[in-house]
Amino acid sequence: MDNKPEWEWEIKPNERWFKLNLAELIQYKDLLLRFVRRDIISAYQQTILGRIWICLQPLSTTFIYFIIFRKIVKVPTDGISPILFYMTGSIIWSYFSDCLLSTMNTFIHNSAIFSKVYFPRLIVPLGNIVFHTFRLSIQLIVFFLIYIFYTIVYHEGNPSLLILLIPFLILLTACFALGAGLIISVLTARYRDLDYILQFFLRLFMFVTPVVYPMSIVPEKYKFLFWLNPLTSVLETLRASLFAPHNIPINYLLLTILNVFIILFVGLVFFRKREVTIMDVI
Amino acid sequence: MSNILIKAENISKCYRLGSLSSSTFKEDIKEWWRKKSFSGNDAQDDLPVTYKNQLWALKHIDFEVERGEVLGFMGRNGAGKSTLLKIISRITLPTTGRIRGKGRCASLLEVGTGFHGELTGRENIYLNGHILGMRKKEIENKFDEIVDFSGVEKFIDTPVKRYSSGMYVRLAFAVAAHLDPEILIIDEVLAVGDAAFQRKCIGKIKEVSSQKGKTILFVSHNMQALRNLCQRAIVLKQGEIINIGNPETVIASYLKSEETQYLLQEFQDKDSAPGNQDIRIKKVQLSPQYLDGSDIIDTRTALTINFEFWYDVEEESDLIVSLRLFNYNDDCIFDLPSEKYQFKKGLIHGECAIPGNLLNDGAYYISIAFIKDITQQIFYFESCLSFDVEDYRENSGWYGKWAGLIRPELRVRLSEE
Repeated sequence: MDNKPEWEWEIKPNERWFKLNLAELIQYKDLLLRFVRRDIISAYQQTILGRIWICLQPLSTTFIYFIIFRKIVKVPTDGISPILFYMTGSIIWSYFSDCLLSTMNTFIHNSAIFSKVYFPRLIVPLGNIVFHTFRLSIQLIVFFLIYIFYTIVYHEGNPSLLILLIPFLILLTACFALGAGLIISVLTARYRDLDYILQFFLRLFMFVTPVVYPMSIVPEKYKFLFWLNPLTSVLETLRASLFAPHNIPINYLLLTILNVFIILFVGLVFFRKREVTIMDVI
Repeated sequence: MSNILIKAENISKCYRLGSLSSSTFKEDIKEWWRKKSFSGNDAQDDLPVTYKNQLWALKHIDFEVERGEVLGFMGRNGAGKSTLLKIISRITLPTTGRIRGKGRCASLLEVGTGFHGELTGRENIYLNGHILGMRKKEIENKFDEIVDFSGVEKFIDTPVKRYSSGMYVRLAFAVAAHLDPEILIIDEVLAVGDAAFQRKCIGKIKEVSSQKGKTILFVSHNMQALRNLCQRAIVLKQGEIINIGNPETVIASYLKSEETQYLLQEFQDKDSAPGNQDIRIKKVQLSPQYLDGSDIIDTRTALTINFEFWYDVEEESDLIVSLRLFNYNDDCIFDLPSEKYQFKKGLIHGECAIPGNLLNDGAYYISIAFIKDITQQIFYFESCLSFDVEDYRENSGWYGKWAGLIRPELRVRLSEE
């Protein structure tokens, strides 16, 4: 018992406190990249248009929003060109909902792998987020082409250096979706009912997020509740940086950073605590 | 520097049984409340009270594995073997206790985990390799070897969904076989695939274990394999280790305790008896003619098989009943068809005598096939009898395993010219 052997790994019942174990995650980064590659290769297999779908999805949604909310319901867009307004909304919203849905189904969709091999389960949702971010960046390129066109031809855009905030806004959205998704993933693995409830709520959530309308039409007394939603400040900041730089909701942005941090932290702790034992109940 | 590669201390595992329903939520709350109010008060020794619907799959398991050791696990289905391996491979967590270890663990039967049909063979080798814990460099170095071993080089850039199932399994197995972990976990009980594939697995185990410094944890029902491969064996029963040590002695006592002999099956009620509308089994019995007043079947003992069945075939047809004897490697030792008979409906009796000094020592089982009109099998009563034949040698100075599927008493004569 004098020379204690140096154990390389240890398996114990749930740890008392939370350990993110970043070193282990980094060790598995190749696996993460493989998952992303798998998703990119397999996502649009056996389609004629292939990856063009990545761009067609937000364009078609934008078109539908334009018809319904602009031409029929006549919702104002704060003087922003409706096409660009709806496009920012639909791109960010679909990014958020894709990230959230794939994260919350982590256990259910991967139970075959999880029941056979060990690797940090967090790799799977992280891989999903990277994959959706890849799609998002292609969509953003298309968006910026249209934006530049509108700015030059119609002088609709008002670009400022604040555009540099966009990667940060994407990061906020991703962290929000990841954190919420991780919490939900643990709960849905155990109680599948939640899956159905959440699909309903996700649809509802889109309408309390300023995707198709600007914050300015929300009644004053509800405004604060809206600002609690991290996506509100993401979208408002994004639109401000592109069209009205003086309108940056800086205070709310700080609030959102705090909110997202809390949600992500709770999600990570919860997920890390349950990621292995959850397989017993699936 | 200690040579212990895995050290398990006081491992217990509790499972919740039953399906998930609204009461689960209630129990979750109760459980949470119990934990809240008693936390920090758990005595080391006593497992928490067992609630209804809870099962302790493992209880207080302690063991150590040394570098280069092949450790066998045996026990009946549900004894906790697979749960233990699951904990070691980190798929599930123990409820109490801890396991510490060194080196990478991999299981040979995670064959094809994470394969994606839309990806090509090449992509899948990388994906699967990474899932199983290989590094990029390792896969690149072994890539050609893996492709060679699998024999699908021609289709390596074709999506695997277009592969035949044989190609698919070969490719998957090729990746797993080149994992090269420090600790290899093999759960033969979970083995899927045909006999040829299982043989390949056994072959791979032999190959791996013959290399020096490979540590293997091996679960099997195949006593012969355990005897040949393991340096130590552990017997689990209802989640507890009941025996640990030299495989020969452990296996012997295991077989004795497990009552693997099954010499008589009798069914009084025709409707619940095994069979179908054509055949119902009434009785199958193996009667040994014991020697010297003992009650052990050894290699000298003659055996008689008796069976009775209700025959219910309306039309006039030929019936052949075929007795098949298998050893526990599933090798068929013999297949004895009866002559052709034409019976009316009713109770039929059959008998067959197996002389002494024919079978080698080992475990055997008998299956009976009922065949109509030479080609059509109407019922197969699988492994209906099983028995062990013990070794018997007179004045032999040698005690190793007597080779051969059978041990007939045939003389080899030598003479001087």
